[in-house]
Parts: sequence; structure tokens; C-alpha cells
Amino acid sequence: MSAPVAIGTRTKRLDAPQKLNGQERFTADLKLPGLLHARVVGSAYAHAMVKGVIKDAALAIPGVVAVLTAADLPIAPKADGTPGENPLVEDEAVFSGQPIALVLATSDAAAEDGVGAVEVDYDPLPALMRMSEAMAEGAPMVRLKTSEVSDEEASMHNADAAQDSGEERETLPPNVSNSIHFSRGDVAAGFAASDAVVELSFTSQEVHQGYLETQVAMATVEPLGDLRVYTSTQAAFYCRTRVAETVGVPLHRVDVVPMPVGGGFGGKFVLIEPLVAAAAVAVGRPVLLQFNRMEDFLAANPAPGCEITLKVGATKDGTITALESRMTFESGALGGSPLQIAAILMGGYYRFPNLEIRGYEVLTNRSKMGAYRAPGAQQGTLAIESVIDELARELGMDPMAFRLQNCVVEGDARPNGNAWPRIGLRQTLEALEAHPAWQGREEARAKGRGVGIAVGGWPGGVEPATAVCRLDADGKMTVVLGSVDLNGTNTTFSQIAAETFGLGAEDITVKTASTDSAPYAGGTGGSKVTYTVGPAVQKAAEDARQQILSIAAEHLEAAAEDLEIIDGAIRVKGVPGVSVSLREIASMSMTVGSRFEPVYGKGSSAITESAPGFAVHLAEVEVDELTGETKVVRYVAAQDVGYAINPASVEGQIHGGVAQGIGWALYEGMHYDDSGQLLTATLMDYALPKAEYVPPIETILVHVPSEHGPYGAKGVGEPPSIPGAAAVANAIRDLTGLRMTDIPIRPERLAAALDAAETARTASAAD
Amino acid sequence: MTVDVPVNGTSRREEIEPRMLLVHFLREQIGLTGTHIGCQTGQCGACTVLIDGEAVKSCMVLAAQAEGHEVTTIEGLAPAGTLHPVQQAFWEEHGAQCGYCTPAMVLSTVALLADDPDPDEHAIRHALDGNICRCTGYHNIVLSVRAAAQKVAAGAVPEPFLQR
Repeated sequence: MSAPVAIGTRTKRLDAPQKLNGQERFTADLKLPGLLHARVVGSAYAHAMVKGVIKDAALAIPGVVAVLTAADLPIAPKADGTPGENPLVEDEAVFSGQPIALVLATSDAAAEDGVGAVEVDYDPLPALMRMSEAMAEGAPMVRLKTSEVSDEEASMHNADAAQDSGEERETLPPNVSNSIHFSRGDVAAGFAASDAVVELSFTSQEVHQGYLETQVAMATVEPLGDLRVYTSTQAAFYCRTRVAETVGVPLHRVDVVPMPVGGGFGGKFVLIEPLVAAAAVAVGRPVLLQFNRMEDFLAANPAPGCEITLKVGATKDGTITALESRMTFESGALGGSPLQIAAILMGGYYRFPNLEIRGYEVLTNRSKMGAYRAPGAQQGTLAIESVIDELARELGMDPMAFRLQNCVVEGDARPNGNAWPRIGLRQTLEALEAHPAWQGREEARAKGRGVGIAVGGWPGGVEPATAVCRLDADGKMTVVLGSVDLNGTNTTFSQIAAETFGLGAEDITVKTASTDSAPYAGGTGGSKVTYTVGPAVQKAAEDARQQILSIAAEHLEAAAEDLEIIDGAIRVKGVPGVSVSLREIASMSMTVGSRFEPVYGKGSSAITESAPGFAVHLAEVEVDELTGETKVVRYVAAQDVGYAINPASVEGQIHGGVAQGIGWALYEGMHYDDSGQLLTATLMDYALPKAEYVPPIETILVHVPSEHGPYGAKGVGEPPSIPGAAAVANAIRDLTGLRMTDIPIRPERLAAALDAAETARTASAAD
Repeated sequence: MTVDVPVNGTSRREEIEPRMLLVHFLREQIGLTGTHIGCQTGQCGACTVLIDGEAVKSCMVLAAQAEGHEVTTIEGLAPAGTLHPVQQAFWEEHGAQCGYCTPAMVLSTVALLADDPDPDEHAIRHALDGNICRCTGYHNIVLSVRAAAQKVAAGAVPEPFLQR
């Protein structure tokens, strides 16, 4: 290959200007004639039977057009004839804020007035908010009317979750919706052979994706009965299937228009679209619903909390001998827990000859749980990376050297028995080891700082995809896709296509089309879009190029292999002056009577082997001993990205992931009271990291090329959000000697631990 | 009630409910949807506009309170088809990702640079504490603000961009 012209260079986002000047249209910015604004009447109780909904007072409010309850929605039965899933409560509310009714009005303000006037008659039931209570013998049920819990969405984020864990089914405690069991070797023998064992218990709290644009969708019924849904979704085709199934409209009569997404992070596959579509059908008018921030905290799909007990042993020479763990993950009242992938990653970063992991997904009266950027990975990683760090201390080993000695390489097995393909974990550890921040850690310590490192990995996702690349009348190329651009992938695809034509990225337009006309692509999640759609774009562009060369060859009376495309013109190599421009080719193939076929390249990919990505992070922290406040003052993120098609975009993903990791570590957590009321339902109570709480982020890009990705690229979105919590916890341990095992490590938690340690020190001094 | 709010240099006389917030006035009443809503409680800053040159969260202000004050939204920062030097800097330094917080970040930066033409990193992060970004980790935003300060100091003017 000659030197790249478009790939591998820092390329400005082609869609940035409209985001910068306010012209970008998000879903809530749309207007349609006759539009109704919807607001949700949410359950006041975490668990209750709903005996009745009194609408009269709300309907009397000027502007209120309708109050819809479950019975008013056109919900189709499932394929097996059983009743379909109603997005509104039919009779049993299972979490606080669960939508019971929808008020439709001519303005958002009138709809909100209507919500206040709807009366709901409840029969409260006991709410189970803690996993230990829910699993206790004789515990009441989280849902009196049980139904299946679906893990369909989890399989869209990573290749491992798409396979059954194949465990034997044990008799499960109450309210346990799923269990896993991974076993290898003889764990008891492994621990017996070890010289040091560390066992710790960890808790993670529920965390919200924190996208700034709350869940929003608008649906309209076209004159002939077709449904069109404009929505902030990461997964247009999946959304279309779910809407069609819910409302009972044939798939081909539903068009999902994916709008710009104001932050998704896994939380916007499908949530309110079936409800909004059903409401639009019910009233025959366009309906827009945008959750307000409180509704989004109450009734969206955050990441679950969990409890993990983890024990790891090793011999004096630093060889790990065994891992044993018990994990319980909240799955809310409606399911959606990433337990399996948490277990696979927790037991997958290092070689464990003997391993035993049991895990349980436990129903509680909380909202549905969902995917949040590397779902399950943060929680599992906090456990393993804290224990590994502690074990290195026990053994008197350097934590970097201990990791390098035991880290997995290609061919090593994950807990589910699948071997890792080509991965760059070792290279990424080595890259961070060589960095001045690690080499200079003693200087940092001398300044009163703690230094911690941690690993994070993500298996990557796969899904078939198609792209088309066409020549337009102006001689420019347009790529049409079905994948949603969350954070710059369409610019990356412009670069990929531009490379094929020897053009600049700005010469290629990439359009994400609606499901009516877009070629298929999976959801944008699981770090798979560049990896799976990229090759389709590359092939589509190459197909278009061959078609162009073939037309040019006939026109120029030359052999196609003697032609080259330079600066938008096709020339005969070595014969200056003999050329035809792309615009002329367009004209020759798209006018009345033309003898050439229009240039329309297509390309597809069906990669079945994922390309796991690993990150290794270093956090440097300072702790205020009086308040317990931790401040991250330096941060280095090394990551194996395979190949960075747009390094600026890749670095941007890493920066954002790091900030989210710091949120996991120190700030974010959803708190409920014992009755199931959410105490952190606004951004006043739920702390997202602000500019002053995030340090400058140094990035190291490691290039271990993937086998199937475009130019060797790997998915980069997930890995940078994974190691943060463990890296910060390890840095706090390094500085204070305290092993913090519950995240977020809020100041009050650390202050209490510092106090307790001081008290213990004083007491032992007095002895 | 009737209010008369000067927005982007044009008087906007509108009949509204007294309770209408400025952000709803801008978005729904006069159709300027570049001002976004993220939290309704004054934390996220996505609804930031300039009132008499100061960065203000428009979800915390009644439309009626803005009467007689100059409101500048993102749509009024530079002539159509051009980008203000601050916007150019955000583009060049990759300071925007999903774009939801972006107009507000840009306006907060304009207000910061009016007060402090040469802010250091600490001053930048402090000034932007009222604007939450979930995508960028703030790293490239800080670089964008620094670059913007240089552009403004050098007398840069709005420049046309290619509309795609």
C-alpha cells in the first residue's frame, strides 16, 4: 500500500459545524403539525397494585387531549398468542416511577399540569430493595405476576454474552432471575499450593449513563397507517423490530429515523419508543415524549449495583494459582444484568489454572437495568484489579511486574473456555510501564500522592453490516449506512472511503439513513461499529472504484489496470493529459440515454471473531485527610486500539471514558430509601464529574492490529471506561494504606475509614 | 402576558404564560433550538445563554425577567454560514463530541474570555464547572478554550465553513 492519504491522520469531525452553531436538530427540536407533548404519570410506590386511574380532572385542564392507560394502548399479542408486553403498568407496579399513564397535551406545560391532576388508586405492597432481603428464604416476590426476563440486549454489546454460559441449573433462592457458574481445575488444591491469598468483598452502586440529552422519541402515523419514529437511538433496526412487535404493525410499515444522539453510552438502544408509537396510534396524532431528568433517573435503564466476593492465591514466585468468587448483580424488577460478562472479564485478564465463579442475578424493586459503556466490566474489574494489587503487595512484588507475569496472551482461556484471540494486553502494560508517570512514581509519592494502576478489557462485539457507496451527479461520493454515529464514526468512514479514492475525507459524505432505506447495521454499542461497518464501507468504496475504473477504461480506451484516480480524475498512468473526471463519469452514467450503469458500490461484512481491546490506566491522587476528599491529579491511559484511523477521535473516546471511570470511582451512585424511593433523582443529588474534578488526560495509543478490522482497527469505545475505579482505588491504597472496596469512594466513606484507621493506630499505640 | 425580549439583536414581542421559562421561550416560542435542556435544575448548563454578556442558565430565568436585557443564543454568535473564533477553536481542537452540551460550552467560553482573555487551565476548568460534558472528559474542551483565547487575542473574526 502506498502512503495513506486520508487514514491515520487527525481529522476534524465533518459534522462538527452544525453542532457548534446550534443548527443540529435533536429529536426534541422537531415540530410536526398537530404534535402532542406527552408526560408520564409514574408510580408513587416501588411496589403496588394499581386499582384505578381517575382521569377527569386532568382531562378538564385546557390543552390536555388524552390520558392513556395500559388498556388504551394498542398492544399486539406475542407470536405465541400470549399478551404482549404493555409499556404502561397493567395492574402491578414494580418500581417507583414506573409509567402508569401518559398525559397528552398541546404543550409540554399543559401535559405536566395534567400529570399533577391524574389520580391513581394504589394498594401498596412490600418493596424489596436489597439483594440480601430479596434472596432470603421465604422472601416475598419482587413481582407477584412473574414473566420472563430478557437478556436480548446484552448480546448486542459483546460476543461472549451472545453465547449461553452452559452452566448446570441449580435450585435458586427466591427472586433470582438467572445464575452462572464457571469452573476450571481444582480450586481447593490451587489455594493449598499458594503462599499468599487475598480475599476481599466489593460493592458497586447503581450508576446512570448520564447522557445529557434525556430519553426522547417522537412517533407519527402517516396517512396510510405507516408508523414513523424519530428517536435518539443507538440501534435503529432493533428499535424498529421492537416497535413493530409491540404495536402489531408489519415491520415494513415502521420507519425508524435515527436522530443525532445527545449521549447514549449504551442506555439508548430502545426504551420509550414502543410506548410513544403506541400512543401515537391510539390517538392518531404525532406524539413527542422526552423524559425530564427525574423521569430519566426513575424509569430508564441504569447500570446495576452488585456485590462481589473475590479470593485469589499465588505462590512466592508470583504465579497465580486459583480464583474463587461469588457475585450477585441487581437486575431490577425487569431484568437486564450484565453478570455473565462481568464474570468472564473478572476471571479473564490473568491466567488462572484453577477457577470457580458463581453468580446470581437478583430481582429488586428498581427500574429495568441496562447497558452502560462496557456493561459489567467496571464492577468485575474493580474486584480483580484491587485483589491483584493487594496480592502483589502481600508477595512484596511490583504490581506492574506481577501483572506482566500473569497477564493473558493469545490462546489463553477465558472463564467460559473460549480462548482469547490476538490481544495487546501485554504490550499495553509495557507501554504504560515505560511512561514517565510510572517511572517517576517515587517522585509523585514524595509529593504526597498515591499512584495506582489497573487493567481493563472488553471482548468487542460483532454483527453483520452492509454499506453502499455511490457516485453523485456532482462527482462526489456518498456512503449510505444504517449505523448511528455516536461520536465520530461517520467521519472515520469518510476517511476509509476517501483512502480508496485517493481523496480527502471532506470529499466523501456519509449519511445514516432511516430503516426504510438504510443498508443493515447493528446497534452502535459494544465497540463494534468501526470494526464491523468499517470493512463494509471499505468494500463498498472499492466496488465503486472498480465500477468507475471500468467506465473510465472504456471511455479512455485503456485497460482498467493502467488507470489511477488522482485528485478526483481518472488518468492513464504515465500518460499526462489523458483523463476523465469523476464528474464526467457521473454525467456519462446518470443522464438520459447514457450507456454506462450508475456507479453504486456495495460492501458487506459478517465478521464472527471479535477483536478484544485492552486499556491500562494510571491514576495519581491526593487525599484530604480531614474531609476524605480524593482528587485525581494526573491520569495516563494506555490502550491497544489496533490502528487509529482518526487518532483525534480515538483519543476523544479515551478522554471521555476516563472521566466516566472517575465518576464510577469517586462520585456516582443512585441511592434508594428502604421503601424504594430514589433519593438521587436530579443532578443536584447525583454527581456527574465536572471539569474541575477531571485532570488532564495523557493518552498512549498501542497498535496491535486486529485481523478483521479496517486497517487493523479495533473498537475503542468501551475499554477506556473500565479501569478507572480500580486505578483510583489502588492509588488511594498506595497513599493511605486503606483498601477501599465500596464505590463510589465518596469523601464521607474515606473520611470514616481514615478515622477508623487512626483510632486503631492510637489504640494499638496505647497497648 | 406580553413580553419584549431582545434576542440576538432583534426585539421579540410575544404573548406568553407568565410562568414560561426563558429556555422554553427561546426553544418553543421563537424556535431557537440550539439552546438545549438537560436537567431542569440548573446543574448541567446545557441551556446556557448570554444575558447582557454574562453566561446564564436559561432554565433558571423566567422569560419575563429577561425583558429589557440583551439575550444572545448560539444562533446569534456569528453570522449564518460562519463560525465564531471560539467555535473554530472547538472544531479544530476536537472539543465537541455528541454536541448536546456544545452550544452552551461555546457561550460559557465567550463569557469567560470577555472577563479573562488569557485564562490558565485552572481558570478554564473553574469557569466551566457549570457546564457538564459527558463525552469529552473536558480534556479537548480545555484545549479548545486555550486555542480560542489565542484566536480572540489575535483579532480573529468569524469565518465561513463548508455546510455539509
